[in-house]
Amino acid sequence: DGSGAGRKRKSRWAEDDPLPVIQLPDFMKDFTADLDPEVQTLNILLLEINRKLQSGLPLDDRPECARSPSPEPIYDNLGIRINTREYRAREKLMKERQEIISKLIQKNPAFRPPADYRPPKLHK
Amino acid sequence: QQQVALQKLVFQAGALPTKVLCLSQVVTEDELKNDEEYEDILEDMRGEGGKYGALVNVVIPRPSPNGEETPGVGKVFLEYMDAEGSVRARQGLNGRKFGGNQVSAVFYPENKFASGEYDG
Repeated sequence: DGSGAGRKRKSRWAEDDPLPVIQLPDFMKDFTADLDPEVQTLNILLLEINRKLQSGLPLDDRPECARSPSPEPIYDNLGIRINTREYRAREKLMKERQEIISKLIQKNPAFRPPADYRPPKLHK
Repeated sequence: QQQVALQKLVFQAGALPTKVLCLSQVVTEDELKNDEEYEDILEDMRGEGGKYGALVNVVIPRPSPNGEETPGVGKVFLEYMDAEGSVRARQGLNGRKFGGNQVSAVFYPENKFASGEYDG
């Protein structure tokens, strides 16, 4: 049993140095948020997606054998296919982008979303 | 009146020194439920807290056995003889790790502490 273990135990206090007592006021969080590794990762992901979207290069360059089956085609009034592979790839990236921006806003209220960002609608 | 409001604000922020130091994010409800662990924590607090000044009282709110919510669970209050002790303790304890949790230490209003209000 552990009855004897309780006596000569180590204190839970860690020996490391305490933080300086000067605590940054709340508004400083806007500046320090960018130092958060998670925010940094999100920022990098966002830049990467923006770069892809603006590059004009094919967004889905997987070889045919690596692709999953295409969905049923959807056509507009003129008989032009709407859900092309390119279109679907773009939609997917846009969705990812919106999600990353949502997270960034959550982490840092001072984050300025791009003009085309729409907050996600809450579904019932 | 404005000044009173301002003073209150500063008090709430825990910036003005009082004799009572409130440590938050220290302990979990589960740790406090266990009598032995509770005693250990109390001992650790007395030991470490005593290094900074004369401790008058250590209060660690515990969860009530019937599952009712008790205010202040997770916090530890250290009352010192004088503000000098609590100021030193704050410098020494703020940001230190206790059982892996990073402790934040702020001053707590003496009148609230005296009347047993631990919710702040």
